[in-house]
Amino acid sequence: MIVHGRIPQQLYLRVRADLARRHEFAAERVGFLSARLGNRAGEERLLLFSDYHSVPDDQYIDDPRSGARIDGIAIREGMQRVLDTGDGLFHVHHHAHRGKPGFSWMDRNETPRIVSSLQVAGPDQAHGMVLLSDDFCIAHIWLPQSDQPVVASRVTVVGYPLQSFDAEV
Amino acid sequence: MVAGERFSRQSFLGEGAQAIIGNSIIGLCGQGGGGSHIAQQLAHVGFQHYRIFDGDVAEDSNLNRLVGATVEDCLMETRKTDIAERTIKRLQPDADVKVYSCRWQDHPEPLRGCDLIFGCVDGFGERRELEASARRYLIPLIDIGMDIHCVENEPPRMAGQIILSMPGGPCMFCLGFLNEQALAREGERYGDAGPRPQVVWPNGVLASTAVGIAVDLLTDWTRSLRSVVYLEYDGNRNTVKPHPRLQYIQVTACPHYPADQIGDPVYRRVA
Repeated sequence: MIVHGRIPQQLYLRVRADLARRHEFAAERVGFLSARLGNRAGEERLLLFSDYHSVPDDQYIDDPRSGARIDGIAIREGMQRVLDTGDGLFHVHHHAHRGKPGFSWMDRNETPRIVSSLQVAGPDQAHGMVLLSDDFCIAHIWLPQSDQPVVASRVTVVGYPLQSFDAEV
Repeated sequence: MVAGERFSRQSFLGEGAQAIIGNSIIGLCGQGGGGSHIAQQLAHVGFQHYRIFDGDVAEDSNLNRLVGATVEDCLMETRKTDIAERTIKRLQPDADVKVYSCRWQDHPEPLRGCDLIFGCVDGFGERRELEASARRYLIPLIDIGMDIHCVENEPPRMAGQIILSMPGGPCMFCLGFLNEQALAREGERYGDAGPRPQVVWPNGVLASTAVGIAVDLLTDWTRSLRSVVYLEYDGNRNTVKPHPRLQYIQVTACPHYPADQIGDPVYRRVA
């Protein structure tokens, strides 16, 4: 299964600006991207990001073992957003380095639990997690009814210039 | 096939530019006078992935402008998409060329997977449909077109346009290139337009400019392409310049293709 992610540049910059803000105690910020599937009948599925939702400061839990931990209210609001909009939701955060980023052990163990909750709210949508570095972007996607993620083969930032991040670099 | 010296004269495009070009998936809608030029130039530049749409076959009346077509193609009624594939493969034997001998609307899925689309279609209605699809699937679209208008007692006027339509930015309606009146007039004339005048050299100008915009968009070699492109071609004066309407366009968010109208259309619950 080939999945290409596409995100408008204005939205991409908005995500980066929000995640770059300092938090009182969390070492990093997280957010959620709304996304829709496209080209469901084609060989290449498309994941089209449409909106961004910042996590309010008071929905972070002070946990020194984690760069950023969010509370149940943030998760429930995400689930409600899935129900209200019919869109999928993607957990997004940033690792401060250049080059292709990789999900940490904590990311790979904790974020899928959030995805499971989102799948309950929207079983027919794609959900997942997006990771940014200073100059790269990757996405893991749980397609509808799937319990295993697929890696987006390409994520394209649609704007000037057109930037494509290929999973295989 | 990417030979070592092959692209040495375009190394100014930047480190990694050739890889970007080689990895990009390009959609070509229309393989007439404009599209055939574009296909050939893309192959020269080094593009490797193509999805080409056109339902027509070569005819005698095409030979004044269809790049790559031969007299034999007209006799054999060779499909225009096959001519394009042949032209590309002669320059890029290993290129991944997928051809669809039909209107793109009849087989839209492969087009949605493209990173960039060149629209070389006829008429306002075709342009509206292509732009609507490109916007829905977040694909930049470069549209080219030309026309020759005959005015009584005056020389014919040759005019054309190159438009880069970027999702989120001003669309062809915002730019005033498309409007409901023009679409309605075209609808009324449907079926009796007859053969329209077309020649090779304006198509070459428009296609070359469009390919230049595409390479810049992908490689950012000029580091100056940062907003909508709307160029007007004056074939009587041999000029290409920004359309004067651009200075009056103040679109921050396109009202015709809202940001939330993306992806496959689906039924939604009414609250």
